[in-house]
Amino acid sequence: MPLLEMKHICKAFSGVYANENISLTVEKGEIHALLGENGAGKTTLVNILFGLYTADKGEIYWKEQPVHFSSPKEAIDTGIGMVQQHFSLVRKMTVLDNVILNLRGNGFMLNRAAAKKRLAELAEKYQLYVDPDAKVCDLSVGEQQRVEILKALYRNVELLILDEPTGVLTPQETEQFFEVLRSLKKEGYGIIIITHRMSEIMSISDKVTILRDGKQVADLVTAQTNPDELSHYMIGRALSGEMVLEGQPKDEDILYLEHISLEKRHRGKHLEPLDLHIRKGEILGIAGVEGNGQKELAEVITGIQKHTGGKIWLDGKEISHQSIYERYESGVSYISEDRQKDSLVTGMSITENLILRDYRKKPFSKGILTNRNAIMQNAAKKMKEYQVRASGRSGADTPVRLLSGGNQQKLIIARELSEQAKVIVASQPTRGLDIGATEFVRSQLVAQRNEGKGVLLISADLEEIMAVSDRIAVLFGGRIVGILNREEATVQKIGLLMGGITGEEIEKQ
Amino acid sequence: MIQKKNGKETLIDIFLIIIITALIGTLLIVMCGAKPLAAYSLFFHGIFGNISSFSEIFVKACPLILTGLGCAVAFRTGFFNIGAEGQFYVGAMVTTMAALKLTMVPGILRMVLALLAGFLAGGLWALIAAVFKAKFNISEIIVTIMLNYIAINFLGYAVRSFLMDPEGNVPQSAKIDPSVQLTTLIKSTRFHTGILIAVGCVLLVWFLMEKTTIGYELRAVGINQRASACTGISVMKNIVFSAFLSGGLAALAGGIEVLAIQKKLLEGISAGCGYTAVLIALVAFNNPLGVLATAVLYATMQVGASSMQRQLGVPSAIVNILMGVVVILILGKEVFHMRGRRRILTDQKGEK
Repeated sequence: MPLLEMKHICKAFSGVYANENISLTVEKGEIHALLGENGAGKTTLVNILFGLYTADKGEIYWKEQPVHFSSPKEAIDTGIGMVQQHFSLVRKMTVLDNVILNLRGNGFMLNRAAAKKRLAELAEKYQLYVDPDAKVCDLSVGEQQRVEILKALYRNVELLILDEPTGVLTPQETEQFFEVLRSLKKEGYGIIIITHRMSEIMSISDKVTILRDGKQVADLVTAQTNPDELSHYMIGRALSGEMVLEGQPKDEDILYLEHISLEKRHRGKHLEPLDLHIRKGEILGIAGVEGNGQKELAEVITGIQKHTGGKIWLDGKEISHQSIYERYESGVSYISEDRQKDSLVTGMSITENLILRDYRKKPFSKGILTNRNAIMQNAAKKMKEYQVRASGRSGADTPVRLLSGGNQQKLIIARELSEQAKVIVASQPTRGLDIGATEFVRSQLVAQRNEGKGVLLISADLEEIMAVSDRIAVLFGGRIVGILNREEATVQKIGLLMGGITGEEIEKQ
Repeated sequence: MIQKKNGKETLIDIFLIIIITALIGTLLIVMCGAKPLAAYSLFFHGIFGNISSFSEIFVKACPLILTGLGCAVAFRTGFFNIGAEGQFYVGAMVTTMAALKLTMVPGILRMVLALLAGFLAGGLWALIAAVFKAKFNISEIIVTIMLNYIAINFLGYAVRSFLMDPEGNVPQSAKIDPSVQLTTLIKSTRFHTGILIAVGCVLLVWFLMEKTTIGYELRAVGINQRASACTGISVMKNIVFSAFLSGGLAALAGGIEVLAIQKKLLEGISAGCGYTAVLIALVAFNNPLGVLATAVLYATMQVGASSMQRQLGVPSAIVNILMGVVVILILGKEVFHMRGRRRILTDQKGEK
């Protein structure tokens, strides 16, 4: 008897199918992987299952009984739990309180002692150790994930949905996490795991369902397939090949961080004194688990946060004391991690966002007046050059918030990759973009490198970093724990460094 | 904040708002025992009856335009200045002082100086809140409201002490010399030069916001402070500037009210226009031209209603009730549309 069956699920958003006729079966004790690119419809499908969306068409059967969920609460009550990509924990509450929050059977008075006992049993059984009295905000991301799983298990679910659970883990933490999944599998839990990493699918799953553009393109048994086949189904076409890094970087620094540190009052050290240099014509990749100082590093270079010690040199000139604007003028461009918050004024039009850096300068201004003609011409030119597509009739006057993520990112790149740029700080530049946009962004960065500029590429995507970087530095706890050349970098080595094991310790092993 | 929607939808919205408002107005008229038809006829007669009452519209609109414009400028930059009332009083006070004390400066020049001094003082008064916000991250809403109390009561103190008319014993200042007063433009009405100044300010602010790099910065900061800062715009500078301009405009309204209408300083001189200004800016979606239109419309209703009150005893408070209704309907409509939009947005996000 299958635990769960979804049959012919259809869901459209404003006329576009996110899920088109998708069927999925999960047995007890089965780990079922959902594979697909961003935007393929994986999250939509599980959101329908979890009661967050309602399907336009199709049925869901739970142990052969038809079910219909109109809220996550109904799904949980039936026996389906979900750990979302962005955790839904109350950060200021303790682990225990998070677990028993909004629980059926909570009376007016909470019985914490009993809950604690049961939580300890569960933790013991599946090796999901967390301090029940710790506040969630004090936990590491990996621990928070354990809390989420405990929360689901505590509610007696039988099917667990995990949406991109390994994105925030190091390769080693991922392995531990998989151990937990295997023991859950042994106990008869059904698990749906969403991911786009082939290696993980091969190592953990029993079956794979592959989605592409909202359609179900393949159902495979993991043991009978291989990564090549998976990626072929997932992408549906051959990638346009490896990025070509032409020639070697010059022996001349374009950016040099000399003993840069960042300390915040009451909040400790965010960047330990670190030295880093980027050469002309080089892409320096920064790997690391998110939250280990990547954002701080980017913002210290661009001037958004003021470093508390050390000096920054750009092309032989010290820029430590320059403002954000002065640094941009000197040649520091920034593609930020959070497009909508840090780089775009989404309520303004494409034209207006394209001049956000240069509106003070000719030809966009004449004295204090703006020059609408020049601004429009600039927009037309940049939109063509960088393939920014505006939907609808307003064209260049479309508010940026109506653009897709890919087009928003192209717009930022069109603005930031200006003539004067000497160093481009690119933070998670392809996050959330589809394959086409991702390739475009990477090729733009490589082109900048080949022109002799310096690129600092910060990314959580190890494959991306390894594909285009000349050298790779790994950040851990605000320190550079190792720098590897392109030739010597392997996933294994970087993974260990990401977990805080330094170069010397690797040597010893 | 201005949402470009299809024109049809907007027209239907406006039509609905007018109908609902008129219905509630009628109900209120009936409830106080008057005949609606007679009341409405007096309402329109009061407005269009003669040139003098017609020009009253602009007399009443003038302070609303300037204070509303002040609020709009601040709101547009993300500075929630609720202190137009206090800034109005500061402007009235400083303008009066300059007009009374700078006796060595002749007529018109003294008038200009007095208005400028008022503008400057009001701007600085608003700046206090801007500095508190920028330096200590204290909500400008609270600070400007508190500054209102200080300014209003300080005026009460002033007209009983250093600004009190030495020859009288009522709490008001001496009369301002006619040569310093703003001139009346149409005989036997109160239509004064200040109204032209107000309209001029509207056009200037519109131009500033839409056609200059200064306005571009102000708007960018108003929509997304963080992104503005990250791309190198000084958020602090823009907030300080918009607070100053906003306070200055409200203060100018106070100065004009003294020099054109009251001709002396006394308590209650603003008639609460500094608070109405917030509503006007809201209804106008912070658009300068919209402020002009809304203020004139509001003043029209006031003039019509006071005619009803005089002749039929229908309380003119009706106008304020109806204004409240209009604001709620407009905001409610926004929320209604926004919710529809937000649902689409979250759905699209889910898709990713």
